[in-house]
Amino acid sequence: MRRGIFTLTLFASAAFAGDFSQASEQLADHLIRGQYQAIIGDCTACHSKQGGKPFAGGEPLQTPFGALVPPNITPDRETGIGNWSEADFRNALKKGVGHGGKRLYPAMPYPAYTKMPDSDISDLWAYMRTIEPVHNPVEANQLPFPLNVRLLMAGWNGINFSPEPFKADPDQSEEWNRGAYLVQGPGHCGTCHSPKTVLGADKTDEALQGASLQGWYAPAITGSVANGIGGWSKDEIVRYLKTGSNGRTIASGPMSEAIEHSTSKMDEADLKAIAVYLQTVPPLDDPEQKSISADDPQFKIGAAIYHDTCSACHGMDGKGAGQLFPALADNAIVRQPSIETLARLVLAGSQGVHTKTMKTTPAMPSLAWRLDDEQIAAVLTYVRNSWDNAAPPASASDVASVRQSLTDQ
Amino acid sequence: MPDSLSGRISRRTLLSSVGIAILASGSSAAARSLSGTLPWEPFSADPPQPVTSVGWNFFKPEEARAIEAIVDRLVPADDLSVGGKDAGCAVYIDRQLVSDYGVSSRLYMKGPFKPGLSTQGYQGQATPAMRYRQGLAALDAWAKQNKDGKSFADLAPEDQDALLKEMEAGKVEFPDGVDAKAFFALVLANTMEGFFADPIYGGNRDMVSWRMLGFPGARYDYRDHVSKHNEPYPLAPVSIAGAPEWMGKKG
Repeated sequence: MRRGIFTLTLFASAAFAGDFSQASEQLADHLIRGQYQAIIGDCTACHSKQGGKPFAGGEPLQTPFGALVPPNITPDRETGIGNWSEADFRNALKKGVGHGGKRLYPAMPYPAYTKMPDSDISDLWAYMRTIEPVHNPVEANQLPFPLNVRLLMAGWNGINFSPEPFKADPDQSEEWNRGAYLVQGPGHCGTCHSPKTVLGADKTDEALQGASLQGWYAPAITGSVANGIGGWSKDEIVRYLKTGSNGRTIASGPMSEAIEHSTSKMDEADLKAIAVYLQTVPPLDDPEQKSISADDPQFKIGAAIYHDTCSACHGMDGKGAGQLFPALADNAIVRQPSIETLARLVLAGSQGVHTKTMKTTPAMPSLAWRLDDEQIAAVLTYVRNSWDNAAPPASASDVASVRQSLTDQ
Repeated sequence: MPDSLSGRISRRTLLSSVGIAILASGSSAAARSLSGTLPWEPFSADPPQPVTSVGWNFFKPEEARAIEAIVDRLVPADDLSVGGKDAGCAVYIDRQLVSDYGVSSRLYMKGPFKPGLSTQGYQGQATPAMRYRQGLAALDAWAKQNKDGKSFADLAPEDQDALLKEMEAGKVEFPDGVDAKAFFALVLANTMEGFFADPIYGGNRDMVSWRMLGFPGARYDYRDHVSKHNEPYPLAPVSIAGAPEWMGKKG
């Protein structure tokens, strides 16, 4: 597959290179490594849109500050980055400064990409030059004044950003360090999973503790057994990232895109390294949660709704059914502090991720017509406090605001 | 050509035959092909609209009195359940008659109209809505003429039963050419539908018939119960619209 993409390039180099095999093999390796960097960095997640050409520009990102549209990064000279040099590209990724000194907004995760070594960026640049140029003008900056003044980002960088390469921890294994690099660097997991400051920067002391964005709650991915993925085996984490489904959960929302386009195509060794690292990320000191009493009126209503509506797939015992229906019993995602994702799944339904290994895409039906906000809050409270789960109850007003935001879209 | 020698179709033969097949089938191959992820939309659902039990949408006041009297004799109140009227059977029929069913929107309605075999059901031109309008008018006209000027609803229950039995047996001749036996069959069928269908359609109020029978309602998984032989099924019924327990009331 990868080889096919470069056939033409190989032909071209064969015509010129005296030593065909060595030069072309080196070039091919260079490009294949670069393509892998594009997969790890998941460039297309933002820089492509559904039905559009890869890398030719994406859907608007609705940030808390306004809309930013991921630009066209194909080698088109007019509308892409065809007139950039490798130094421009490197500066964009590592310093947030593009061609001609233009400042990027940190929706582009240069605070993470800055950890990438120059050799990887060089590979990535070589690969980016082989992409089909697409003429597609994108007006990236749709922020209101004064945020639309790009120079302001110099100040932002002064407060929030330090361009430093990844520093390996000599006390940890090579595998752990590889995982830490992937998570903090090109994989930019914190872009979704870390809470943000008022300026929109990752809160470094709360890295990967879970955060709300785009109408989803990206759960904690720390070593916490209660809220994070400390209770998963390493194999389960690898399986989740590779296939999107591991019997504990099925990916949905933005994570299903990250899995489809990025992690499912990553090497198993890298996924294992990510698992090793993530399980050592320390959780915050969460107050011990106690399950709600089974006599609680909301809990009892929730139990009745669960038995009548949810149990057919998720089971009376909350154990689900393997890869098809996620188990709710002892599930850290169910116990997240925010109910945003849970309410969304019940209201709108959800479709599981489609990957090469998991093609079935089992879906959850929308129940917005059948359950009102009060009832959804009750059933979530029941699920969050049954079968070894313990989490604060859900309120009808929380569900109402999720319903409102989804129907406004 | 080792492939064709061994009796298998070569790739070239296969491709050219497929090409011919595509040409032969015309240029407009309309089949939709899907690859990758199955189509899916958030909030996709096509739920039935619950009816409200207030007022009449089809029946005129006199007709409503008559149909409530009929359903209350077909499903009389007794130790087992409330009567057809309190169960909402008349409301169910009323709402059906202003919907697709009432105007036969799913049936071929262009004639010729000839009497069919009994196994073929009603073959006439009238829609259910028309048959109720004519049938109830004929019923009251017949009652007034033969029962001291009383309409059907004003008859004593025994007299109502006697008349219904005569209609069922085809022993009574209604005015204006209305087939009393066929009309009785129609009302009986619709009354049973109303009594046993999901409450979301207006009848079977509070799942009364399901509670009477022990029917579990709109559930779709019994794995926890299939192996429990000779044990009563423990759960209360549930409607498409939910159950009283969902509102915090005891069912």
